[in-house]
Amino acid sequence: MSTLREFDIETKRVKSDSETTDMALFVRTSKEDLLGWNRMRIVDALVRETYVDIDTAQEISKEVERQIIDSKIAVVTAPLIRELVDAKLIERGLEQARKMHTRLGVPLYDVDQLILHPNKENANVPHSPEATNLTLAEMIKKEYALLNVFSQEIGDAHLRGDIHIHDLGFIDRPYCSGQSLEYIKRFGLSLPNSLSIAKPAKHPEVLLAHMVKFAAALQSHFAGAIGWDAVNLFFAPYLVGLDDAEVRQLAQILIFEFSQQAVARGGQAIFTDINLYWEVPSHFEDVPAIGPGGKYTGKPYGYYQEEAQRFVWFLFDVFKEGDGVGRPFFFPKPLVHITEKFFKTPGHEDFLNHICDVASEKGNTYFVFDRGNTAKISECCRLSFKLEASDLEDAKEPWKMRYTALQNITLNLPRMGYLAKKDDTKLFSNISDFMEMAVQAHMQKKGFIEKLLSLKERGPLALLTMEKDDSPYLRMHRATYLIGMLGLNELVEIHTGEELHHSKKAFKFGLKIIAHMKLLADKFGEKHGMRFVLEQSPAESTSYRFAKLDLRYHSPQSGHIVKGDISKAEVYYTNSTCFTVSSQMNPIERVRKEGLFHPLIEAGALTHIWLGEAKPSKESLANFVIKTFNGTLNDQIAFSPEFTTCISCGKTSRGLSDECNYCGSNEVEGITRITGYFTKTSSWNKGKIGELNDRFRNSGFLNDGDGDVIKLPQKPKN
Amino acid sequence: MLNQIKGFLETSFLDWPGKIVSVVFFPKCNFRCPYCHNHGLVLTPEKYETISVEYILNRLSEFKGWVDGICITGGEPTLHASLLDIIRKFKSDDFLVKLDTNGTNPAVLKDLIENRLVDYVSMDVKGPLDEIRYSRNAGVQVNLSDIKESIKTLKEGTIPYEFRVTVVPTLLKEDDIIDLAKQLSRADKFTLSNFNPSDPLDIQLKDVKPYDEDMLKRLQHRVDEIVKMPI
Repeated sequence: MSTLREFDIETKRVKSDSETTDMALFVRTSKEDLLGWNRMRIVDALVRETYVDIDTAQEISKEVERQIIDSKIAVVTAPLIRELVDAKLIERGLEQARKMHTRLGVPLYDVDQLILHPNKENANVPHSPEATNLTLAEMIKKEYALLNVFSQEIGDAHLRGDIHIHDLGFIDRPYCSGQSLEYIKRFGLSLPNSLSIAKPAKHPEVLLAHMVKFAAALQSHFAGAIGWDAVNLFFAPYLVGLDDAEVRQLAQILIFEFSQQAVARGGQAIFTDINLYWEVPSHFEDVPAIGPGGKYTGKPYGYYQEEAQRFVWFLFDVFKEGDGVGRPFFFPKPLVHITEKFFKTPGHEDFLNHICDVASEKGNTYFVFDRGNTAKISECCRLSFKLEASDLEDAKEPWKMRYTALQNITLNLPRMGYLAKKDDTKLFSNISDFMEMAVQAHMQKKGFIEKLLSLKERGPLALLTMEKDDSPYLRMHRATYLIGMLGLNELVEIHTGEELHHSKKAFKFGLKIIAHMKLLADKFGEKHGMRFVLEQSPAESTSYRFAKLDLRYHSPQSGHIVKGDISKAEVYYTNSTCFTVSSQMNPIERVRKEGLFHPLIEAGALTHIWLGEAKPSKESLANFVIKTFNGTLNDQIAFSPEFTTCISCGKTSRGLSDECNYCGSNEVEGITRITGYFTKTSSWNKGKIGELNDRFRNSGFLNDGDGDVIKLPQKPKN
Repeated sequence: MLNQIKGFLETSFLDWPGKIVSVVFFPKCNFRCPYCHNHGLVLTPEKYETISVEYILNRLSEFKGWVDGICITGGEPTLHASLLDIIRKFKSDDFLVKLDTNGTNPAVLKDLIENRLVDYVSMDVKGPLDEIRYSRNAGVQVNLSDIKESIKTLKEGTIPYEFRVTVVPTLLKEDDIIDLAKQLSRADKFTLSNFNPSDPLDIQLKDVKPYDEDMLKRLQHRVDEIVKMPI
């Protein structure tokens, strides 16, 4: 790589009486050596990096040299020289050249802060040297993306907060990936640039090791979640003949491996989703099973139901126990698919109670509802794909089932509302404009990723271009492009004066907006031959960011709209199409009403039921799950308890509190689910803290005479 | 003013295992258990808005097929003359009914059971069945024969029930729990609840640390064994 020389200059000494160029300037280069001052380096850089002609470059270099000498600065730094040159470019009206000559970097103060203090944008990032590396790299890649990948128009829309392009710091990676174990079962672990190659696993522990290592490799190529389809089923052929203790041990290793490996993306855990089934899903029933050594066992997967069930049962045993001190596991996230066939499969009542027990006790379980004949694969926080005809064809050779969402863009819905000033026509035209911006942004990212992929095995995404079967690992033709939304509740409030939960009219208006967005997504998809899919974006930091930006640009109106505590800057917008977290809405209403949006939001959707400190009966939850499957359109639900874990005595209790229930210590940490996964609340950003304080838990409440809500603690029950 | 519902929780997953229920709260109580966490209802019920039965039934009609039953709690529901009428209204709308009671009113309890007005009863017991320990934990002088009569009624009755006790470490030692379990032997179910110190009636209990969950689980296990044994 040609070195972009930084003019890290240090003036040795400038004689005070000297009026000439008699100066001993030294240049510290990025190669860590000292060079004497050489004006020509400025000329070289300008000619190499921009389209400026050599005469202009010469002129600029002389002017800058003069300026440095005249200023009698004691120490000259590299960014300073570059900025001086840039200033000269601007004086000459060479805007394009200035942009090309820009230096991407981070102020000293920021680096200092970053190394010393934790990152609050993503609660999942720990604070460590590895994490700091990630943040620093992200800062530079973010700027690079905005300058060099996206057009000025799209970059500005992001910076203004009309739209939010997620994971800009991961500009050179696709967003998320879903696959099954079949790929490594069949091809072993043979990755480009790896030091050694492993043949297909013969033993279950080895298969597990391959899975973990492949997941880690994938995580370093994707910004978001790594999802695994039907994990218990695809493990099953390896489990034949093992006794219960051995299967249980394997379940325990799997969960601990994925929860403790803090190696990926700046020392985070691998964001892992494991999709699980009690039955053998119809689309895999007759598929020939692959077993030890990557060989066909001669039997279809339908034959391995019992093994698959044993494994999934033990996985939930482990989730129920929690970690070494009884806390819930943060990763992997278990997604159990509930289908019509589930209810016809023997033992489903006991299994449902078992996973509801875990939901009540620890909260891990996600219930994914695949009604009718749709089969789904879930990938990310709340991202799932319905399998189409071509996918069901692929299902006969399940290693082919590899899916990706290339990028995720969230629209600032309240912003559309402020701009429309209650004019319907204007509002719907704003929706089209914002959607179009998202589409443009997706096309620009697609172009960039395609450029990287075209470098094949010599490029940065070699792993994604490997062709073990007849197509590259990353199947671009099956890629989806996510368009998320944030703050439907607030948009409706701005436009109609009522929040979503206030009236049927407001609710219907919300539905109309999302239906319109869906229509547009389909239209744009047809026009560009890409799959644009609406998604409930996780929007962990976006919610805070949009609210802050709207307070800046749309005051005073936005001051009445944003949620949270403005005086503490703990502000946020309500996630996606959800009802405001504080609305006193019982879980039945919540799953039913939020569920009405779910069919429009193809890339999956999720309703949270916050449990607070209440520990419900597992049978009652099972009852609720069945009724939700039968009586709503809801796609996915999760029950979210809250915990306080004590750093002093190590005990964990239900509910969030400021001190330990057992020893009274103030050294406690709260644990609950953020947008789509469990974390410690100490790592949350301000917007999320505001939301946490507003959450309405399904526990008792009474109204007193003044209309204030008096919290009535639930009877402590087991 | 006494005969009114003072609280309405639309859904609960924890009051009746297996069921999704609504919970209604009656005011007033003839006990003053120091660990009571609903003491607002007991001491200052006038502060709470009254909720009509019609409102409740109307609201619940939106959740037909979802809400299986109604849990009646308080305060102490059996102090209210209107209880039977209200339950009849719930029943005529096909809701199952669960009653939470402290067992001081065996006559009402019998009445409800004989008339098939309740489907499940959860009776709070306060401690071993002797005047001193029981009265201390209930915060008032208790007529123990009523309590014993209620226990007998439930044990001999035809509907499912449970006994429960809130375990406050300073009020109930392990031996007390074991004594109580022996006195309740052959009961269908005897459940220990952990004490929650966040907002007790007697503020002195705020500083009492509850037993840890593992300890309580072990104790529950022992209690289960004892209750199962023949007398």
